[in-house]
Amino acid sequence: MSDASLIDELPGELLMWVLIVSELLVFGAGLIAFMGVRLTDPAGFAEAQSHLYRTGAALNTGVLVTSGFLAARALRWRQAARRGAARLALISAALLGVVFLIIKGAEYAGKAAQGISYETHPFFLFYYLLTGFHAAHVLAGVAILLLVAWRDDPRNIEAGGQFWHMVDLVWILLFPVIYLLG
Amino acid sequence: MPRFFCVRDTHADRLTRAWAGLIALSLASALLTLVPVGPRLVGGGILLLALFKARIILARYLDLERSPAWLRGFTLVLSTFAALIFALYLV
Repeated sequence: MSDASLIDELPGELLMWVLIVSELLVFGAGLIAFMGVRLTDPAGFAEAQSHLYRTGAALNTGVLVTSGFLAARALRWRQAARRGAARLALISAALLGVVFLIIKGAEYAGKAAQGISYETHPFFLFYYLLTGFHAAHVLAGVAILLLVAWRDDPRNIEAGGQFWHMVDLVWILLFPVIYLLG
Repeated sequence: MPRFFCVRDTHADRLTRAWAGLIALSLASALLTLVPVGPRLVGGGILLLALFKARIILARYLDLERSPAWLRGFTLVLSTFAALIFALYLV
């Protein structure tokens, strides 16, 4: 009885929470493995990390949290029957997702120009795997945000927003570990 | 002021404060990397700030502040994760 009540307390779609927990576990395991492999060559990992574009990644943090804010506001506006504002907020959130991908693409292009690939060092294998997998989620999130801007039932917007906040949350955990802990 | 930018209800205010908090904590993380202190202190500070940001996203964006038991559970798991990452960083 009490278990059912606790489950009922979760806001939004239960299946979205299952997805959020699953994604956190996958990325969490990846980051723990990254830190574990780092123990075999801390100096090499620090040197490899110095090639990353930290400013762009920090900028992307601002881009994603602002996008998440807009997605959260969209739900409140839709619940208040302000459909136009909600749709505009969702489209703006999706556009910021595209900005994130452009900055990420520039970062990858910079690495390619330096001749850095996933084979260069184990650091870069994890870097490309984790940030690339996250970027794939951003791409999916942009499509979902645009879809719920079109099919703007409040439940759709809430589920789409939950996915987007999960993408935001993963980045908040991934960014310091990959880019800053040298 | 255009209606789009109006912040009229308490929930909207809380969202706006959450966003401002996230931006402030992100700037603090960036500044922390420039502070001339030991890397271990910087690393711990960066992970702590990330934990604060994650909690804001869970509480405000994902609305878990309406369900304190779940928010506590997520916070506990993420704190354990951050502690494990920090321990691996210190080795």
